[in-house]
Amino acid sequence: MSNVISAKNLTLAYDNGRKEIIKNASFNIRKGDFVFITGPSGSGKSTLLKALYGQLKPKEGNLVVGGVDLANVKPRKLQELRTHMGIIFQDYKLINEWTVAKNVVLPLMIAGYSLDVQNTQAHRLLKHVKLSEHADKYPLELSGGEQQRVGVARALAKNPVVILADEPTGNLDDYSSNVIWDLMENACQQLETTVLVVTHKIPTIFSLPYRHFIIESKGVYEVH
Amino acid sequence: MKFIKNHLMFILPLMAILLGIEFYLVFDRTTDSYEKGLKEGYTMLVVTKKPVTLKGLQTLNAHIASSEAIKRETIVSEVAQGVSKESKKEILSALPYFYNVGLDSYLGTRELDRIKTALEKDPDIKRVETFGSSYSSAYRLFSFIKFLLKVFIGFMGVVSLFLIIKQMEIWKYAHRERMQVMEIFGAPLMLRSGVLFKVAIFDAFIATLLTSGIFFYVKLVWAPQSGIELMRQKQDELFRITDMAILLGAALLLVIVAVYMVVFSSKGEQE
Repeated sequence: MSNVISAKNLTLAYDNGRKEIIKNASFNIRKGDFVFITGPSGSGKSTLLKALYGQLKPKEGNLVVGGVDLANVKPRKLQELRTHMGIIFQDYKLINEWTVAKNVVLPLMIAGYSLDVQNTQAHRLLKHVKLSEHADKYPLELSGGEQQRVGVARALAKNPVVILADEPTGNLDDYSSNVIWDLMENACQQLETTVLVVTHKIPTIFSLPYRHFIIESKGVYEVH
Repeated sequence: MKFIKNHLMFILPLMAILLGIEFYLVFDRTTDSYEKGLKEGYTMLVVTKKPVTLKGLQTLNAHIASSEAIKRETIVSEVAQGVSKESKKEILSALPYFYNVGLDSYLGTRELDRIKTALEKDPDIKRVETFGSSYSSAYRLFSFIKFLLKVFIGFMGVVSLFLIIKQMEIWKYAHRERMQVMEIFGAPLMLRSGVLFKVAIFDAFIATLLTSGIFFYVKLVWAPQSGIELMRQKQDELFRITDMAILLGAALLLVIVAVYMVVFSSKGEQE
């Protein structure tokens, strides 16, 4: 199967390259893979995720996502690449002034879909994450678990090639966490979406085969 | 309350600029005829021994555009009241010829002196009075006031533009999270900044309406009651509908430039 993400001798750093977080990492992630990335706090899990959606430029090496080399990407190309990604954050990053329905269809709005399509999709997505009755509410009126389901629905809105999730269940109780894992498993299984999740702990109840990477001492290692 | 304050912080500096522009337009229109009068109404006095023609004067200096003889009989009848006819005739024959000489354009005092020297070289010309200092000082004062107004409007415009940009940065900060989320999902710059453009354009309309309202009030209510003759005479010049279009155009241009400056200054923020 083709690689969706490919890193070769990748070095990531902050502070104008002075503070290296990941050094000489090489790995490949294929289409349809479900990947967990774990590691101690401050090891660089979220940093790697930022690099994957182009928020942090590699200091050295190559990082290719969806055929786009993020070391030398032009802003317009990066914009286009991001429209094929679904990103889920620990702190949800919902737009609080927008209704739940509008938040969910943000990727469709960016892609220029008509209002009719947006409304239909909002209805479908919210039904999928069991939040239909909350469509006209604002994010701050929902619980943390519900907000994260909105975040997942938004990530799934445009059938992305890859879903990047940064501690998606970090702030949630067990019930809400299980709902989120189910949604991501379904996306991976049914749509063959590549899912890459940064987390402290791999969920105990997880039915899909998955790959596991650990970030330790600036290196990225796959656990077999 | 915060909403109103946020908008006022943008609308007020924008209004300051628009008021400046409108003040200038009104000042320019109402003083236009005065300026024309200063320029065109100017004549120098030429006293000659013999009658002279315009062509004759123009050969001495090309700037001379017109000459009008002052009737000597009128002068004599004014200065020699109660004098006998014969004496009047004698005075008339001894009296030189007077001409009001107009120029083709507004000239500085140095150029006026040059014309005077050129004319006085002619043996038939007895005297040339340019009234240079009074002419020049009136025109200079007028030009100075106009220049001061321009400088003041320009200064006010720059200060206000900075205030507008500052307010725009505050808005950008307020909408930062939304813009960041949209950026992460691949929204182009224009879509991310759409909210800034919308708010700024809305405020540009409000500022234009308020500024126009002030001038409409001045034109329709204040000017007729002011007791200032010039204001009454020039009432129509105080505000025109076309001014509204000029103000709206200026306001939109300013806010779009300001939004662009703020948005593009932070383009491609990356860690």
